[in-house]
Amino acid sequence: MIALAFVLLALMLSVYVLLDGYDLGLGAIHLFVARNDSERAATTASIGPFWNGNEVWLIAAGGTLFALFPQVYASAFSGFYLPFMIVLWLLMFRGIALELRGHFPSDLWRGFFDVTFAAASALLILLLGIALGNVLRGVPLDAAHYFAGTFGFLLNPYALSVGVLAVLALSQHGAAWVATRVDGLPADRSLAALRVLSPLVLGVASVLTFATFRVHSPLPSFRAMPLIALAPIASTAGLIGVFFFRVTGSPRRLFDASTLFLAGMLASAAVTLYPYLLPGYPSAESGLTAYSNPPSPTALGTTLTVVIVGLVVVAGYRAFVVKRLSR
Amino acid sequence: MASAVTADRLQFAFTIMFHYLFPIGTMGMAPFIAWYTVKAARTGDRRYDRAAQFWARIFAINFVVGVVTGIPMEFQFGTNWATFSARTGAIVGQPLAMEGIYAFFLESIFLGIFLYGRGSVSRRLHALSAVLVWLGAWVSGFFITAANAWMQHPVGYSLGSDGRVRLESLPAVLFSPFLWWQYLHVMTGAVVTGGFLVAGVGAYYLLARRQEAYGEIFVRSGVLVAFVFSAIAVFPTGDRNSAEVTRYQPAKLAAMEGLFKSERGAPLAIIGMPDAKNQRLIDPVFVPDVLSFLAYGNVHANVKGLAEYPADARPPVEVTYYAYHIMVGLGTIFLGLGALGTWLLLMKRLDRSRWLLWPLMLAMPFPYIANEAGWLVTEVGRQPWIVYGMLRTSESPSPTVAAGETIFTTIGFVGMYFLLGLLFMLLVLREISTGPDGESHHARAVTGAAPG
Repeated sequence: MIALAFVLLALMLSVYVLLDGYDLGLGAIHLFVARNDSERAATTASIGPFWNGNEVWLIAAGGTLFALFPQVYASAFSGFYLPFMIVLWLLMFRGIALELRGHFPSDLWRGFFDVTFAAASALLILLLGIALGNVLRGVPLDAAHYFAGTFGFLLNPYALSVGVLAVLALSQHGAAWVATRVDGLPADRSLAALRVLSPLVLGVASVLTFATFRVHSPLPSFRAMPLIALAPIASTAGLIGVFFFRVTGSPRRLFDASTLFLAGMLASAAVTLYPYLLPGYPSAESGLTAYSNPPSPTALGTTLTVVIVGLVVVAGYRAFVVKRLSR
Repeated sequence: MASAVTADRLQFAFTIMFHYLFPIGTMGMAPFIAWYTVKAARTGDRRYDRAAQFWARIFAINFVVGVVTGIPMEFQFGTNWATFSARTGAIVGQPLAMEGIYAFFLESIFLGIFLYGRGSVSRRLHALSAVLVWLGAWVSGFFITAANAWMQHPVGYSLGSDGRVRLESLPAVLFSPFLWWQYLHVMTGAVVTGGFLVAGVGAYYLLARRQEAYGEIFVRSGVLVAFVFSAIAVFPTGDRNSAEVTRYQPAKLAAMEGLFKSERGAPLAIIGMPDAKNQRLIDPVFVPDVLSFLAYGNVHANVKGLAEYPADARPPVEVTYYAYHIMVGLGTIFLGLGALGTWLLLMKRLDRSRWLLWPLMLAMPFPYIANEAGWLVTEVGRQPWIVYGMLRTSESPSPTVAAGETIFTTIGFVGMYFLLGLLFMLLVLREISTGPDGESHHARAVTGAAPG
């Protein structure tokens, strides 16, 4: 049951990255693939009705983490205090820029919000990537499980590289979205950008995979759980798909391949971490696992039921709405 | 210099009070948008269609500022109040997760349909999405009030030996009478705000002699709703809400009323200034016996004064007292204004009564003040507890976050929210000056943004 809670959380956070990932990634490449006002209006309009719903996944995952593993929620957010506050400010700037850009037909107004949107998106991905890197590597925690390091500690080469990989991988995802959803020059430029982005993703991801073996121990045993090998296989297949479908020129499949790549990467990160939610440093054991302060059976049963039933209902009406719209 | 807990409290107070301005607006406007949309769909009257679209544009601006200022709220529990979160998350986290899953998805998906899907969905689905956006806004209000009500009056839990709260019964948390009266009072406050907002904009159009067809719709529907809900705010929701406070938080009641010494036949202080040091009210105007009657339904009942409680269990009397009196005073004025407007409406003279349209227009900011004052009573009056009777506010901040860090980020929030407030005012005032009959700026801004 507690393993199920871990899986549910990993799943909710992954869905957040997959969905908000394309609109964050679109932001990161916004200034390069869309060059004039009408192109920029078209690219931002392609995510207009979606970005807010995508961000709800972050809120829902945060609330679920809070309910199931309050000590992890408390230690992680108070430990990453300053970077996390910056994340919150960037989320605000980005949402405002996206929604208000169109309100005045003025170049100054729109230019300001275009740059804000792009910069905030890129920085957000970088910071969230650095956070993920630090979680994978482990952070120093005291006896009461609170953060015992410094801001500087969080800016280590491994975590920074995960941040860079996140920027590259989500830019690739955003480019695939633009190629699928926007017509004309922005789509062409996105496909051109993928020529550069995808090889970089491949390079950094390969190096980081080996680096992860070094920073994180113990590693999951493929022999004990052969199924978890599916995660790296999926990400490899996804990345091959990204290269292949760019050449064959089928953007829809390119986007799906990019989704598969990200899902595989996130699943790999989750199986690497399990059962840790916040490993310690230098040894993982001083950290928090899903079993450190486990939710009571009542709380676990209630939360899992409430969250899963709720998500099924959401998926149901979302599918209904999408079907009605596409008719 | 300030202690960490003071800095944390100031930051929370500032960010939540600024944030709350926007949910009041969305929760208060949503029923009007749904009403006008459904009315347009049933009668085919294009004016109601345009009226709904007009308020939806203002709603959308409100919504986005509410969303971006709301995200920090959920995470501030973890960043600044880690001890509180670690100990109570098993219960407080529950409604927060449910708010995201059961309310925000509903609200964001159907707001997308309502704003961008006109023309690409049927009229019925479009009208239904207006109603679902309303539902989403109100369900979200329910869950966040549920988290707060549990902190006011904890139920459905057990306490572990490590001081951590364990969830015993979610239904007990979600169906607590304390929560339901608080929730209904909060929602009533939002609808009163919506009513005065709609009436106020209508009054402006009538006074300015522009968009008068819409001015009439807005003034009439706004005044009627404002009157009915101002009455509901007093009775039953306000009355029952304070009955729950009297029962479970008697020290808060004493602070609200500025009652320092216990009294039989306690008087109600209409005005007066509390002097906490000397434990008395300065220049009070009393109505004898009324407090005993309101609190216990008996003019001779004994009402406990603040002096009955040890000094470390008393809420700060000044803020609690003034906030409560401001809320009640404004509520009384709203009721009077609403009654006068409704009477003129029935006499069919409302649209021409410029002497009343002026106060209606100027009344717009005051329901916001009344709502915020009500929350101040709720939150400051709960002190020194963060979870009533269980966990002290002073024990709750993050052990690893210093006052200096929180002061720095508070400065950041102040700067950012100042900018956000200016942008919000600029855009809303521009929508109002364009009016329901004007060309929409926002629709032009997101052309071709049909979801799918």
